[in-house]
Amino acid sequence: MRFASTFRFLGRAFAVNVKAVLEYRVNFFLQVFGMMLNNAAFAVFWKVLIDRTGGVGGYGFTDIMFVWAVSSTSFGLAHVVAGNIRSISRMVREGELDVYLLQPRDVWLNVVCSRTVVSAWGDFAYGFIVLALMPGVGLGRWLVFLAIIPAAALVFAAAFSAAETLAFWLGDSQGISGALQEFLLSFSLYPETIFEPGMRWIFYTLVPSAFVAYVPLAAWRSLDWGAVGVVWAAALAWLIITRALFRAGLKRYESGNKMGARI
Amino acid sequence: MSVIETRGLSRTFESRVRPRGFAASLKSLVKPERRVVNAVRGIDLEVERGEVLAFLGPNGAGKSTTIKMLTGILHPSGGTARVLGLDPARDRMKLAMGIGTVFGQKSQLWYHLPASDSFRLLGAVYELDDATLARRTAELVERFALAPYLETPVRKLSLGERVRCEIAASLLHKPEILFLDEPTIGLDVVAKREVRVLLDELRREDGVTIFLTSHDIGDIEKVCKRAVIIHHGTVVVDESMKELKHRALRRKRVGVKWAGPADSSLPGLEPIKRTEDAAKYDVDTTKHRLEDVISALAARGELVDLTVEDEPLEDIIAAIFASRSEEEAHVAAGARL
Ligand SMILES: Nc1ncnc2c1ncn2[C@@H]1O[C@H](COP(=O)(O)OP(=O)(O)O)[C@@H](O)[C@H]1O
Ligand SMILES: [Mg+2]
Repeated sequence: MRFASTFRFLGRAFAVNVKAVLEYRVNFFLQVFGMMLNNAAFAVFWKVLIDRTGGVGGYGFTDIMFVWAVSSTSFGLAHVVAGNIRSISRMVREGELDVYLLQPRDVWLNVVCSRTVVSAWGDFAYGFIVLALMPGVGLGRWLVFLAIIPAAALVFAAAFSAAETLAFWLGDSQGISGALQEFLLSFSLYPETIFEPGMRWIFYTLVPSAFVAYVPLAAWRSLDWGAVGVVWAAALAWLIITRALFRAGLKRYESGNKMGARI
Repeated sequence: MSVIETRGLSRTFESRVRPRGFAASLKSLVKPERRVVNAVRGIDLEVERGEVLAFLGPNGAGKSTTIKMLTGILHPSGGTARVLGLDPARDRMKLAMGIGTVFGQKSQLWYHLPASDSFRLLGAVYELDDATLARRTAELVERFALAPYLETPVRKLSLGERVRCEIAASLLHKPEILFLDEPTIGLDVVAKREVRVLLDELRREDGVTIFLTSHDIGDIEKVCKRAVIIHHGTVVVDESMKELKHRALRRKRVGVKWAGPADSSLPGLEPIKRTEDAAKYDVDTTKHRLEDVISALAARGELVDLTVEDEPLEDIIAAIFASRSEEEAHVAAGARL
């Protein structure tokens, strides 16, 4: 019952978010296409690079493209559905959690799901386009891709939220979450093997690139459903940690008297 | 039965003091200087079901902080609170189903969308099924006369229209208690009266308990039956609105501006401030009828402006403190004899 009610609520919230961004339709489509164009430019760059060098760290062009597809689509999905994952710090600082605390809903879920990021729709679509254009992607590969996307999106959402949630203690943690995004995305775009073995543990813990790139790639290469399960397990672990952190932080929430509207 | 009960409710805020100058900045890196603000210090309060309470106090008195503790937004740093029998900080979600809250300064409506969209979302937030939501929305639209604004993006509404939508939104789930924090802030006289009428109706027809803060007594005296005044985080007055009015609202501040120079002294009433063509008076309405004062002023010259204001809350509190220490002095003197 509670579960169904939560889904109904999240569905409505999503519908309202979409309606709010479509108030400015032209801006919406400009941003979405801008982001896709941006991503396509990178694909061309990699194509040229790999054609010249014949592969980077054991990755061929299709490997790179798949990693791109997974990380872009899951990053996009996280920001499409939970667009406030990168706003928590600001909202804490400016006392904007009041409205959410007054509602009979889980605060973290309510906060992050009350916005959709327009440009992320382009990121989300990008992975599908890449995969559709790639030759020789069978049903099995598509299923692996589809099964991994929500889990990898959860990893992104939980990791960014955790970094932003530190604001309850630090006052501001946008710098930390910005750095996390930089590391997470740039590590994801290169093969794991080009990094020192001594630092790879980071990709399975603090900067979880492994779960949005390396492990998905392993699953995709050999249609390994065990690896898909690993991504889901990592997503749930991150989710549990983030929610515990957020709940602890709420006790320290100080609100504030700044004027505020839901935009 | 009391629906709100607090014992020694307190809240402190710690803020870092911004260092001044280079040396102080260095020092603050090692050992930041902290300033503690006692926003609310030991409030004991009991509110019965169906009561309409005005929670008054000058800016910074601790009104918002108190409401935030009663609604589960802030955790208290001391004391206890029970609202509808629940601990707001621990049973936040359960409590949320039973209370509605309006912050004059924070909107729960989506800025770029019409209020009807926010209502639909709130329906899902509060687990109302579609039929119930439609019925409740229709009721509130009728009562608050929202039909003309319901489909207009909130950003295009006037403040008064928006506040009406806000109050309606907070009532969708039929809360037992309605908290309003400065709901009339920034509203013009007409919009203020509309809010007053609506709240009065809610009290009479639905028996909703209303807890309303304001920094302006005159604003809500007609709605509220009981007044609690807080100052520096503690309760200084808790009495019926009638008593408070009798005691405090008998003084009015009258300001006048004439078209040209005019004689501003009135029999038995000296202005507290005057220029050639303007003056300000503190009128004790038990000594002078307001009507008489105004007609006397009008007789002195052509009026270009006339204002009648309640005495500022700070002055009323100061007067209450003064009369109290006088009483205490009497009691002390009496005890010595
Ligand atoms: N989040 C906060 N951090 C630091 N100080 C605060 C905070 N919120 C309120 N205060 C301080 O607490 C006191 C009471 O504030 P508040 O409850 O907002 O007063 P009111 O609503 O009566 O105007 C003020 O001195 C205010 O500056
Ligand atoms: Mg306030």
